[in-house]
Amino acid sequence: MSAIRDFTSQLKSKGRRFPDYSARTSFNGRVLCRLDPSGPRPRGPQAQGHADVSAIADFLLSTLRHAPAAFLQPYRTTTNKHFNPKYKKERAAKYLKIDLPKFDEDAGNMSPEKVRQKMKERGMLPPRPWIERPFYISATGGIFEAYIPPEGDGKASIVSTTRAKQTVQLLEKKSKSMMAVRKIKSFEEDFTTNEFCSQAQNIYIKAHESIANHDKESLRLYVTEKAYPEFRHNTWEKTIHWKFLESLEPPRVVHARCTDIVSKENIFGQVTVRFHTRQQLAVYDRFGRLLHGSEILAKDVLEYIVFEKHLANMYGTWRIHAKIIPDWAPPKDPSKLTKIRPEPEPEPTKMLDKPEETPAIADK
Amino acid sequence: MNKILKRLFGVGLTPNHVHGIHTSAPIAAWVQAKTPQSFLKHNRKIFPPQAIGEEPRPAFVCHQKTNFKYSPKKLWYIASFVRGMTVDEAIKQLSFVNKKGAVFVKEAIQEAQELAVKDHNVEYKSNLWVAESFANKGMIIKGIRRHARGRMGEVRYMYSHYFVRLEEGKPPKDYYKRNELTPQEQLDSWLEQMRKRKIINSY
Repeated sequence: MSAIRDFTSQLKSKGRRFPDYSARTSFNGRVLCRLDPSGPRPRGPQAQGHADVSAIADFLLSTLRHAPAAFLQPYRTTTNKHFNPKYKKERAAKYLKIDLPKFDEDAGNMSPEKVRQKMKERGMLPPRPWIERPFYISATGGIFEAYIPPEGDGKASIVSTTRAKQTVQLLEKKSKSMMAVRKIKSFEEDFTTNEFCSQAQNIYIKAHESIANHDKESLRLYVTEKAYPEFRHNTWEKTIHWKFLESLEPPRVVHARCTDIVSKENIFGQVTVRFHTRQQLAVYDRFGRLLHGSEILAKDVLEYIVFEKHLANMYGTWRIHAKIIPDWAPPKDPSKLTKIRPEPEPEPTKMLDKPEETPAIADK
Repeated sequence: MNKILKRLFGVGLTPNHVHGIHTSAPIAAWVQAKTPQSFLKHNRKIFPPQAIGEEPRPAFVCHQKTNFKYSPKKLWYIASFVRGMTVDEAIKQLSFVNKKGAVFVKEAIQEAQELAVKDHNVEYKSNLWVAESFANKGMIIKGIRRHARGRMGEVRYMYSHYFVRLEEGKPPKDYYKRNELTPQEQLDSWLEQMRKRKIINSY
């Protein structure tokens, strides 16, 4: 409070010591604004005291009348300041100096020393380093022993040689899937692959509907924590119209695996289901302009969806975990949204190799 | 005087400006200037999908620059100046306006332009115009000054906000509805006026 007290006491003590220069300022102001020497003269006792100065000014101004307008224009005529700049300091002392906050300074661009200095000024402690790393243990982070879809699935004839080979290979691998299904059955007594398929299709539809409705709460029920960000990716502020039209082939279980994580009893089950369906998709941006797909065009979709369940958890549910995209899958449709390609960064020009010249060293 | 002092030290943010006031520093360490929220909400609005063959809705982006040290009264002139210009024209004009506020406005427009291309599906960054541009009062820091006879006065250190909305497409021909006439039209109207004159005491 001391500074304020100083300032206010200064106020009281210096209040009467101000020079009374109102007369001079008014005189000053009037002369500066007057351009016509034959106009009314200043009246009253104040003006008379400075009559000689006024006459000189009038003379000067009368000569200035013939000067180009550019000289005459740009100065203020009404001013309350004393003409003598020696009082400038006193005028400035009338204001209590305060540090104004700078809201637009960017803390990101400041040097660490500067940040330290600022924090010291404000008496702040540096933030506690965040060492904890969250991890989730009720869903796995990937697919174990992923299913490899046969090439040309949904297209090539069963009679063709490649398909014949693949079916043989599939049969060999089937035994492992059988074991996994048996393992799942030991946790879930009434698990059958046929029944599971219809359940899986239901989950598949519900998950897609909730993403189209932007329903985060219900999406959690149908999608694991690993798949959740993948589902939500690129859906921000978009309008999605999705329709499940029909199933071209009944969904079937093609693959099943079980693994334990951390401890022997902590078992996860993963089941891959093949869907061959007909769907409709249209994605609009924030302004309702079509970005992808079409409202009137239906497409046949062949997908391999991995479902996962935490078997060891009594309350675990089957949820969508991942999608297997075979490497022979046709490329994605290009986006309807066109953009200007950013200019390539200029390559750093190579310096021409110059033989290094050793500077001359004086003999010791 | 008490009233002013209360205003000065009651609402944080005047912490160690004055030495010897220890209590205000920890408060000020966490004080954040309030920034306007409602204008940016327009960026979150989602429009219904358009039918096939309908003219595509022009994209827009709202942007603001807050709490910079400039008078909102002076900023108003600059804000109104760029209204209804294309983005390129506005940036070009602003770089020749010899005022401190022009720098803030120019920066805000450039930031908005980048945002439009990055986040709001605008293809060409030149295909934008300044659809809204206005200034508002920001934070006001109150200082004191001395007057004669032991009195004191209040000094207002003003901060400003600047708001801009860029819209895709071409600007309207005559944004301020000045109905400017072409030289030919001016001549025609003058001629018309001259011919309509009534010369008094003629027949």
